[in-house]
Amino acid sequence: MLEYAWLIPVFPFVAFILIAILPKRTLSWEDGAGYAIGGAAAALILSVLVIWEVMSGSTMVGDGPKFEWLVIGDISITFGIWIDQLTAVMLVVVSVVGTLVVIYSGAYMHGEGENRRRYYAEIMLFISVMYGLVISDNFLQMFIFWELVGLCSYLLIGFWYETPSAASAAKRAFIVTRVGDIMLMAGIIILFKYVGSLDFVTLFDQDTAAAVPTDMMVLATVLIFGGAIGKSAQFPLHEWLPDAMEGPTTVSALIHAATMVKAGVYLTARSYPLLIQAPESLLFVAVIGGVTALLAASVALVATDIKRVLAYSTISQLGYMTLALGAGGYLVLYADTGGGYSAAILHLMNHAFFKALLFLCAGSVIHAVGTNNMRLMGGLGKKMRITSITMLVGSLAIAGIPPFSGFWSKDEVLAAVYHAGEFDGIFFLLWFMGIATVFMTAFYMFRMWFMTFAGEPRSDYHAHESPKLMTFPLMILAALAAVSGFALFISDGFKYFIEGSIGGLLHEVHHESATDILGVIFGDPLTYVSLVLAAGGILLAYKMYCVPGFDRSVFARGISGRLQVALENRWYISKFYDDFALRVVYSISLVADAFDRYVIDGIVNGFAYLGGRSGNVIRMAQTGNVQRYAGLIVIGLCLLLIFMLYIVPWGGW
Amino acid sequence: MTVLSMLEPFLPQLLLVVFALMMPALDYIFKDKRILAAVALAPLVGYAVMLVAWTLAGVWEPPESEMSLIEVDLFSGLFALAFVSVGIIVVLGSPESIRQERNHGEYYALILLAVIGMTVVALSTDLILLFVGLEVAGIASFALSGFSKREKRSAEAATKYFIVGGFSSALTLFAISLFYGVSGTTAIADMGPAMEAMFSSFDGMDSVGTLATVMILAGLGFKVAIVPFHMWAPDVYEGSPTPISALLAAASKNMGFAALFKIFLLGLLVTKADWDVAVAVVAIITMTVGNLIAVSQTNIKRMLAYSSVAQAGYILMVLPIGTEYALAGGLFHVLTHAFMKSGAFMVVSAMGVRGVGESLNDFKGLRTRSPLLALAMTLLLLSLAGIPPLAGFASKFVLFSSAVYGSLDPGPSWLIWLAVAGVLNSALSLYYYARVIKYMYMEKGPEDRISVPRLTGVAILFAVVMTVVLGVYFDAVVELCQQAAGGLFNP
Repeated sequence: MLEYAWLIPVFPFVAFILIAILPKRTLSWEDGAGYAIGGAAAALILSVLVIWEVMSGSTMVGDGPKFEWLVIGDISITFGIWIDQLTAVMLVVVSVVGTLVVIYSGAYMHGEGENRRRYYAEIMLFISVMYGLVISDNFLQMFIFWELVGLCSYLLIGFWYETPSAASAAKRAFIVTRVGDIMLMAGIIILFKYVGSLDFVTLFDQDTAAAVPTDMMVLATVLIFGGAIGKSAQFPLHEWLPDAMEGPTTVSALIHAATMVKAGVYLTARSYPLLIQAPESLLFVAVIGGVTALLAASVALVATDIKRVLAYSTISQLGYMTLALGAGGYLVLYADTGGGYSAAILHLMNHAFFKALLFLCAGSVIHAVGTNNMRLMGGLGKKMRITSITMLVGSLAIAGIPPFSGFWSKDEVLAAVYHAGEFDGIFFLLWFMGIATVFMTAFYMFRMWFMTFAGEPRSDYHAHESPKLMTFPLMILAALAAVSGFALFISDGFKYFIEGSIGGLLHEVHHESATDILGVIFGDPLTYVSLVLAAGGILLAYKMYCVPGFDRSVFARGISGRLQVALENRWYISKFYDDFALRVVYSISLVADAFDRYVIDGIVNGFAYLGGRSGNVIRMAQTGNVQRYAGLIVIGLCLLLIFMLYIVPWGGW
Repeated sequence: MTVLSMLEPFLPQLLLVVFALMMPALDYIFKDKRILAAVALAPLVGYAVMLVAWTLAGVWEPPESEMSLIEVDLFSGLFALAFVSVGIIVVLGSPESIRQERNHGEYYALILLAVIGMTVVALSTDLILLFVGLEVAGIASFALSGFSKREKRSAEAATKYFIVGGFSSALTLFAISLFYGVSGTTAIADMGPAMEAMFSSFDGMDSVGTLATVMILAGLGFKVAIVPFHMWAPDVYEGSPTPISALLAAASKNMGFAALFKIFLLGLLVTKADWDVAVAVVAIITMTVGNLIAVSQTNIKRMLAYSSVAQAGYILMVLPIGTEYALAGGLFHVLTHAFMKSGAFMVVSAMGVRGVGESLNDFKGLRTRSPLLALAMTLLLLSLAGIPPLAGFASKFVLFSSAVYGSLDPGPSWLIWLAVAGVLNSALSLYYYARVIKYMYMEKGPEDRISVPRLTGVAILFAVVMTVVLGVYFDAVVELCQQAAGGLFNP
């Protein structure tokens, strides 16, 4: 089965082609939604078959079918597939969320008319290239797909390109992630210089990797992680993600919550065999993750746009995953356990389900109310029962309340970070940041839930529950968000399963039974600390937004007031970029523009003018007069003869 | 050696002759002229299947030829495959394109005869037989270019083509007789050593050799349309029925290259130092002039004609580089050019069938009028411009990189300039190819839809699929071409 895994991206791609080129009347239902669902579902079935096979123990790492495309000297550029436990998890995440989002779109995008064809074509292209990204077996192939998902993200953020804010958000996302992409490319080039290959199977061999000079390995891995910073919206390149909410909510759910933004985390996890060689890089990864988690959660505390709350929450949760990967590297190095790594991947999967759920719920709310502003909502719980309950499940999951999925993975993440503190004290600080984030997460999620569904309507609307086509995916995702954390206990356990993909780095794989795991989790006092904080966050949100008569203005005074202003301005990071771009980059670009306009363009235009003129001059010879043609043949012949007999020998060639 | 065993390697050609002779008679029998096309298609497809089974699949080997005049090798096989494929595309696209005309039987007979001539050129190892092949193909194509008798343009094209063509044939024949004079043989493979012996024993003979070389370059340069022997091409391509333009641009041109490769790389390799600089200069001038004039064309057929001139310049690089790898690149580009150029002409033909003109403005808004035609044209033009992963990129890549490799020791270092010129020219050519795409996708045109004529559509599909496939299976095709090239250099 695994050798057919290349078919997974092919199905959505075929759907993309069909939707793009078929005449309108053959697209029938919803301008191509049928083809889209078909393509996504076919890929889903194959993905499930793949993970089934991987769970039964077979992988394809470096021994899969290869397609040699280009050979330049000793370098060959090949396309191949790489399927291990990590790939399988990513495939399932992308296919489940992808299929459900496409189904949901069938109703959500109904009002878009002619543009739906473009929407479905772009969504299917995205799903296809996202699969391509996760099954790549070398950095170059991965980079190509990496760029393609970026392109699709750009196209879909700018779906309503007539709106200036959407157009500029699309541009911003594209440019900011491009900063990361360039770093990634530089990292790849460094690796290539020292190893001479970009195939994972070669690079991940620990002897090969050890041959790279240490400082260069640190540089390469930090640069590769730079790609992840851009794509997974980590500090300081995180500001594009909230702006990306200008796209349709389905796009936010699929690309900017569940799949593409995970590509950075995936890249970091994939590069583990390299990162292990450079502990300094691991520390860098962990610090970036911790800072991002705390920073983004704090901004989410005051956001009033429902999608922006979720966007900042996504950034914060991605920070958790990055933090866990950084800490996990230390655990692999010094404690010989894959605990942090498995926690990150488990959180990646859980987060994909509950955050996609939350976004789709938000979409359902926006669909009903017609605004993103939570200040204008309220009291929707009674009218939108399914949406409110499924969103409650999602909120409980992200807040980390047992037995919902988020609890298990978040607990594993924090435990791994705390454990890593034994080897470097800075992890204790990062753990404190993580635990503070737990409180904030619970607070802002329930602030959002209460503002939306509880109380009385704060503006005039006639909301009603969304159609079945939308609530059906919500219910599926809610079920997944509730139970996906139990993956920890399925058969040999998630940890044992996922450690298979970094098996070469561990000396022995620890086998833990379900009772062992439960014993560790509930025997640890720290678990209760985070539980209490989460409950406290929910309680505070309840007090502030549900109990009538609570005076929220107390926070608007003194230090907390100033803090609030800072948060509302997103810690001024966005402003800093704007100023920086305006002052520094703009001045540089003015100079560059002048150079381009007068020097480069001058040369090019000169050539074009010359080309056009000479084209016209040469064309004059083309009179249509056949005697002239014959004459020119004779002249050409004579010139050639003179050239060969006299000029060539004389020139000394 | 019996007559029959002598003729055995010629069986496909004989089959084509039989069908060609049948065609005028069939014209009287069948009212529906599409049947004629179907009959003409039969031997072509048969030959193509045979060639594919031999060259690509390797399930069959042709019989060894007992005649010294021909050589059935991979080199000739690949060329024949290009000719027959173009023949198939042209025949498929013809019934709809020439349905207004009379005498369809003659038309298909002439196409089959032209293909016979071309394949004979690819097979022959003797100058005399080679000339016979050139003439068979040439005369058939003179008649074909004037086939739309009621159109002035077509008659004018035929006249010009005939006069210039006759002149060039005379040059070719004169060159052949001079070669015979300085070498005493007409067998291409024996020419080189014989000429060397002659030059060393008689003073001044090498000038005669040079004269013959220039004349053969001029005579065959007419077929492949290199500057300054290209002037007829735009007029003739524009005036001929569009499928015939495809035949001339994609097959007749390649026949010229088959002859050039054989004569220069098999026969004249010993005197390479005398002619390589001159041919390189001609190649650079050809690609530059072709691209420069193409930029200012507003008629698509003329634009494609000048683009053909430029492509001839690229392929001509093979002669001065003169390595096995270069010849493999040349063969590869011959194959890809056969498909992308004939495909592009067939798109123009399809639009002509639907009453749309052939000027650049007529391509405005083609995206909404016929998305499939627009997509096909886009792929073909991008391939012509050399955009990966299409075939045009792959073959140009091999060609240009062979110039780079050739410029390394022990080759002359100036060969690098061929690669530089090629790359710069490719950039220049992108301008006019992309302009058509811009017209199709960005500009607003008439609202009415164009339906794709069915048979022409099949022909276009074939060309497009091959253009993509040859690019994707880059490696395998290059290997095959290298094998064929090796066969020519070390028989």
